[in-house]
Amino acid sequence: MTVQSQQEKSSQEKWEPKIIAFLCNWCSYAGADLAGVSRIQYPPNIRIVRVPCSGRVNPYFIIKSLTDGWDGVVVSGCHPGDCHYLTGNLVARRRFAILKELLEFFGIEPGRVNFMWASAAEGERFAMLIRKATKIVKALGPNKKFDKNW
Amino acid sequence: MDQKILMKNEIGKFYIELAEDYNFYAPVNEKGIITFKKVLNSGGIVLDYLNSKVPPKEILFPKMEVLFEYKLDGKEVEIEDRKDLNEKNIIFGIRPCDAHSFILLENFFGLGDTPDEIFLKKRQNTTLIGIGCNTPRTTCFCTSIEGHPFNKVDFDIFLVDLGEKYLLEAVSDKGRELVKKFSWLKDAKKDDLKQAERLSKEAEEAIVTKLDLSHIDKVLDPNFDHPIWKEISEICVGCGTCSFLCPTCTCFDVIDETNQYNNKGRRVRIWDTCQFCLYTLHTSGHNPRDSCIERCRNRIMHKFSYYPENYNVLGCVGCGRCVQLCPVNNDLRSIIQKINQIENKKKEAEKISA
Amino acid sequence: MGIETENQIIEKDMRDLALKLLTNHEVDVIIGYTKGTIPLSSSPIMITKPEEVDKLVWNNLCYVNLAKYLVPRIPQLVDPEKGNLKIGIIAKGCVGRALIHLAVENQIDLENIKIIGIPCNGIINRKKIEKEVGEKEILEVYASGDNIIVKGKNFEQKYAFDQYINELCKVCKVKTPPSIPDLMNSCMGECQEISSVEDSFSDLDEFEAKSSKEKWDYIKTTLETCTRCYACREACPMCYCNLCFVDQNKPVWFSKTTDLPDIIVFHLIRAMHLAGRCVACGACSSVCPMGIDLNLITRKLEKIVKERYNFTSGLNKEKLPPMMSFSMKDTEDFMLEED
Repeated sequence: MTVQSQQEKSSQEKWEPKIIAFLCNWCSYAGADLAGVSRIQYPPNIRIVRVPCSGRVNPYFIIKSLTDGWDGVVVSGCHPGDCHYLTGNLVARRRFAILKELLEFFGIEPGRVNFMWASAAEGERFAMLIRKATKIVKALGPNKKFDKNW
Repeated sequence: MDQKILMKNEIGKFYIELAEDYNFYAPVNEKGIITFKKVLNSGGIVLDYLNSKVPPKEILFPKMEVLFEYKLDGKEVEIEDRKDLNEKNIIFGIRPCDAHSFILLENFFGLGDTPDEIFLKKRQNTTLIGIGCNTPRTTCFCTSIEGHPFNKVDFDIFLVDLGEKYLLEAVSDKGRELVKKFSWLKDAKKDDLKQAERLSKEAEEAIVTKLDLSHIDKVLDPNFDHPIWKEISEICVGCGTCSFLCPTCTCFDVIDETNQYNNKGRRVRIWDTCQFCLYTLHTSGHNPRDSCIERCRNRIMHKFSYYPENYNVLGCVGCGRCVQLCPVNNDLRSIIQKINQIENKKKEAEKISA
Repeated sequence: MGIETENQIIEKDMRDLALKLLTNHEVDVIIGYTKGTIPLSSSPIMITKPEEVDKLVWNNLCYVNLAKYLVPRIPQLVDPEKGNLKIGIIAKGCVGRALIHLAVENQIDLENIKIIGIPCNGIINRKKIEKEVGEKEILEVYASGDNIIVKGKNFEQKYAFDQYINELCKVCKVKTPPSIPDLMNSCMGECQEISSVEDSFSDLDEFEAKSSKEKWDYIKTTLETCTRCYACREACPMCYCNLCFVDQNKPVWFSKTTDLPDIIVFHLIRAMHLAGRCVACGACSSVCPMGIDLNLITRKLEKIVKERYNFTSGLNKEKLPPMMSFSMKDTEDFMLEED
């Protein structure tokens, strides 16, 4: 093994994905807060952006995150039927379904963008799903598809 | 003597000697479409083509061009200018209409107190080697704008396809300097010159589209508000294909791209077109060219009235790309005929009312 | 019956109907197609007088979606004295679908529009034929029997009609415009009652079986020649936004350059905006100056909304498109779940 590939291998093992997480204020953000207060450990790879509702998440946010170089995106909201604004997450669910199918069709690995529901009382569930998402994104490697090389 | 013979199987040799010092751009067949690309070997060069879709203006005025890059270091900004402008280029195998377009592009980019240094520098370092059109298309009309399918005046070196060989002629001083390097080129014989003459005459006769552009600007100027513009622009959808693929259209937009995570950015210019509704949208919300009528009119007037006013030459080269590629077949030739008819129809109307 | 005989019948019926409508002043203007000035093309035309009906043609080169001329962004059809004109529009199946969908989105009022339905028999794939002929000028194109004949100065070639029509036309299920139950006077000529289509989308199976990397490479090769001219957007009747997302600058979402990531993002988001709205007319691919074939993406859009929400755009004036509605019962198979 040459020095360069040795360095590459160890930097690959050391590489940690950067994942951006859009959490709805009323359920998922509170759920993440509960996980923190309860000292439930989950990977520190996510950077949280608080939005009022998962329905606020414009697909542009998700695609811009990918083009800016984020390795993964997580969007989390209230369970259907429990939305603070009554139907925001139902609108979001349709959007995400279509977006996910189109992203996969264009050849963007399906594991990079993940959607989930987590309520304010589900700290353990939130942590478990973030652990799962991080594992999936880490296995996919860095997001180099949208690099513009300048 | 200035006229030499280049055998078709000597193109490879010609290329290898030039590629050492020059970026060599030539027509290649990419996925069934002829485009001008920088070639890395002579195998892909196609000289037996009608014309490309994207005109060779793309080589010196690309679809997207970095103007400069910058780095941020706290509050300090460091600007990096382009470093590749001194590279020498050869554009090989373009048609006389496209070569004429380079003259018009130079006029535009060189106008006034703020000439475009990036384009002009690249143009200075570029040598144009062209080829005559043995088989012009039915949509070509270079003879209507005082051009000719074998017009060599805008080239540095000019080729004529004689079948198994090319007649190679150095036209400008730059061309003569270059041809001197190729001492292995044989001199052309009288028969070769006669054949080239014959091909030139045949090509001229093959041009069937003849438009009367002798006083088009005089007809256009007083008829800015004529109702014919509504008829001309009726089916236009404002897609911009005509301007993107026109060898003389030069409008561009300037955008800034930032890579905020790495504290750097760059300023880029990209092709733009007056056919988009945002083109003349003011920040107040007012748009002087609110509909297809004004935008279509603007394009025609720009080519055939404003350009001659500024530069004393028509702003069209007669390549026929807009005719071939307009998605709704809004044929420029029919438009010119309708415009020329304005004066005739006025006179007829006067006769009837008299 | 050969293609040219079919076309002659369609053309005659269409002209007769147009003549009747104009003579009786049931419409002020008819939007249709006329013969192009170069082979392999046709031109939209707007006629206002009964004498002009002979300019209307139907050949297999009528690829522009005429519904585009009715969207509010293009104000050509408002007469300053009369107000909105009464419009007749020559509609093949996809044009009819576009009209109905625009009515669902409240962009046009179908009461003022007469849909002159014609049974479309497929649109010739111009780019495919141009690529096959190569660098020789085409001087004449016409249908004969089951073939397309292409003639030039020194050549004549024959192409099987069924194989050289647009990919979308090969799998088209809505060849005549859908009729509108509560506006029966709007639909004239050939219209069909259709409330849903059956489609196995088997033409997408091969692509869907590829790996992510293979898909990305295929999309990359297809889209890399894009010049960002937006002809596809301008030809699409559904792209009628006053400010397209690419032109937004508060904030600038996506860059307008011709770098590959930017090109792919443009087409990805445009596709997303067309989910449940695209009527599969193929105008985007036909007008692309670089010959990019967007039919694969169009088919996928139809597949997504059909399989998830049992919806096909432009068939029913009452049914709301999937992106304008939602339900508690929507499928969640794509969500991340606990193990």
